[in-house]
Amino acid sequence: MTPTAAEVLMGNFMALVEPAPQESVGDYMASRISVIGMNSLLASQETEMGAAVRVWENEAISAVLSKAGAPLAASTEDLSITALDALNAKLRLALIVVHEAVEAKGDATLDREILTLYQAMADRRMLVLPVMPGS
Amino acid sequence: MTLADQLSTYLGRLWGHPVQVLDLTRIPGGASRETYRFDVDVDGERKGLILRRDPVGSLIDTDRRLEFLAVQSFYGRGVPAPEPVALEMAETELERPFFIMGRIDGGKAASPFTVDAYGVHAATIGEQFFSSLGIIAKADPVGLPISDVAEMPELSACWSKELDYWANVIETDQLHPQPIVWAAIRKLRRNPPPPAQKISVVHGDYRTGNFLHDGEGKIIAILDWEMAHLGDPMEDLGWAIDPLWGHYDPEKVAGMLTRTEALKLWEQTSGLKVDEQALDWWSLFNAVKGQAIWTSSAREYRDSGGKDPVLALSGWYTARRHDKIIADRLASLEGWA
Repeated sequence: MTPTAAEVLMGNFMALVEPAPQESVGDYMASRISVIGMNSLLASQETEMGAAVRVWENEAISAVLSKAGAPLAASTEDLSITALDALNAKLRLALIVVHEAVEAKGDATLDREILTLYQAMADRRMLVLPVMPGS
Repeated sequence: MTLADQLSTYLGRLWGHPVQVLDLTRIPGGASRETYRFDVDVDGERKGLILRRDPVGSLIDTDRRLEFLAVQSFYGRGVPAPEPVALEMAETELERPFFIMGRIDGGKAASPFTVDAYGVHAATIGEQFFSSLGIIAKADPVGLPISDVAEMPELSACWSKELDYWANVIETDQLHPQPIVWAAIRKLRRNPPPPAQKISVVHGDYRTGNFLHDGEGKIIAILDWEMAHLGDPMEDLGWAIDPLWGHYDPEKVAGMLTRTEALKLWEQTSGLKVDEQALDWWSLFNAVKGQAIWTSSAREYRDSGGKDPVLALSGWYTARRHDKIIADRLASLEGWA
């Protein structure tokens, strides 16, 4: 999966804490700081929605797995991102296996349902950059 | 010894003259190489150059010799490629492999994440952008420098060579299971495209942001040839019109022209026909390829201790956008097994 907000915020610190070589100041450093700013902005979105999105996705995948006859529980009392991601990895792996089987069987209805789930998963995980005009 | 001193020593040895390196500055962009601009003074004559040096960690694992020879293949051949100056594969004065190109001053590259990036010049720039791509597609790679090292695939094997490569990148680098992109890979394997019409040089990263324009509507340099190879010319076309590079404008491709206009220009200059079935395949493939690159970015970001924020942005924001692009495309495909 993509980096977590915690990893990115730690990375932002690491990217700034070491002094830049003389030849890397100027345009390069200005661009680097701009990207760090964008990453911080995205981290704010991920911090706000990250746990909720993972809980939703885990439950949605679990529901499809049940429908496909391969149940796997989505519940966890640990709502840390680390725990939710660990559960999410198990569920996603199971979903890949189930989807392959659905395709092999030619089950068009369940295939369509899984593809719709993919759209919803991608939608809910989207991060948004502000409108930035070209120069 | 500073990098400028190292460069002076190298170029002095290469050219057999004392060389003074001036105003060496790292510049942004090109996440797969460290890129620097500098001047050289040789016997009182000053010239602007660009250094592209392999980084310790990289967004894309690419061969700098291929990149250099790709640039050489099109320099002075109707595509505004920069002048190739020197290639050094050994770990000599600069410690890592690198190459040097002529610098083209007075240009700017658009960020793909801006809106209306080209303003009133969008159509004019779009005409040059898709025409240049057509010229690259039309060229016979036999006899071009890149053919010295690039593998020449069979017409019918272009798709599988590329899909196998990028699927393997995802397999190797993924840190978390990715059901969306794996569904796309399976779909691509079940529904192969028609054989390539011809073998062309494929730029490999031909998109908005990878060229310089002068701000007055003229493209002055096509850059970032690091993923160049030989293959199906539809591959570049599919990447150039991928929605990720559309500057958030669903009515235009690459933020420049309508899809119809762009494809027509490409057909006119390439002498090839756009097969919509093939382009559908290469469009989905390119979203997979993008996801592979972003997957590697996320891996490299974590493995390198998070020091390069560009890798984070690529492995995070762009990865999620490509997941959305792939998921929407999978849901809309008709007639595919």
